[in-house]
Amino acid sequence: MEKENFEKKLEKMTKPEMPQLKHEDMLADAIINAKDQSVVSWWWLSVPLFIIMMLLMKSFYMPGTSLISNIHELAVKEKYMSLIFFFISPIVLIIVNILSIRRIYYLSGNPKSVNFLETVWFNVLIILLSVLILIIYFL
Amino acid sequence: MNEAELLKNIRKKPEIFSELFKLYYRPIFGYILRRTGSFDDTADIAAETFLNAFQHIQNFKYTGISVKVWLYRIATNEVNLYFRHKQKHNSIFDRLNIEDWNIFKNYMDEDRNDIETELQKHNQFVAVLKELKAIPVKYQEVIALRYFEGKSNKEIVEILNINEGTLKSLLSRGLEKLRIKCNQI
Repeated sequence: MEKENFEKKLEKMTKPEMPQLKHEDMLADAIINAKDQSVVSWWWLSVPLFIIMMLLMKSFYMPGTSLISNIHELAVKEKYMSLIFFFISPIVLIIVNILSIRRIYYLSGNPKSVNFLETVWFNVLIILLSVLILIIYFL
Repeated sequence: MNEAELLKNIRKKPEIFSELFKLYYRPIFGYILRRTGSFDDTADIAAETFLNAFQHIQNFKYTGISVKVWLYRIATNEVNLYFRHKQKHNSIFDRLNIEDWNIFKNYMDEDRNDIETELQKHNQFVAVLKELKAIPVKYQEVIALRYFEGKSNKEIVEILNINEGTLKSLLSRGLEKLRIKCNQI
């Protein structure tokens, strides 16, 4: 009986209601700006990946050539372009994504490793692909 | 725009998250305030909740729960973390890049005043909350959702991801503990 009365008391008790919150809009903007737009880095990486795919197809259909020899040929013919796409761009992407992972980790407080990995999987993928491009270029 | 459409649009354009924010920030803020009773802690936990939600919204899939329930679930976890490690980390507002900090700070001060005034109008609630915070968190969350938020058993089961039998047992035991504490006042 006492328990039921107490339950009713809790239900009837008035609770604080939320007024209009003035900081709401500014906080929404800050949160939206807190996330990195990884899509940009994806587009930069897609260019060397596309070139590698083309060279891979070339080595497949042209007898006597290989992906490595085709990349070396491109490096000689298009010295600056290959340097930008196969060296500078992957290095920049690795640095940007490492910084981005560090920033997300910092912003997330103290995330559990599994949840954190779910959040940054795309950044990790970009780093791995960039490393792959660098390896292929220097082989 | 329904919830599914909103989610679809957020996936295409992340800035549309502000629509979701507008819809649910106040209810979630209210829920956290009615759990902690402190404006500053509430603001911190609510911001953590929405940052967490924003970072994971791309992975949210309809598995029978709505976005609102999902946000309540994140908020509940954040509140539990707060109760477990009260001095765990620095305020999220020191970490977020807020464009005009002075204006934001003024808004926060005004909101703090409004909410403290609101809390003063509900003395009985504040007294009960003080006692509620002294019982284990597993009882706090069910009592707060049931009696402060007015959620049904079905909604609480979804938010806490527990079965109905567990909920009834937690409610019954928690209520008894709280009643004894309140009778001692």
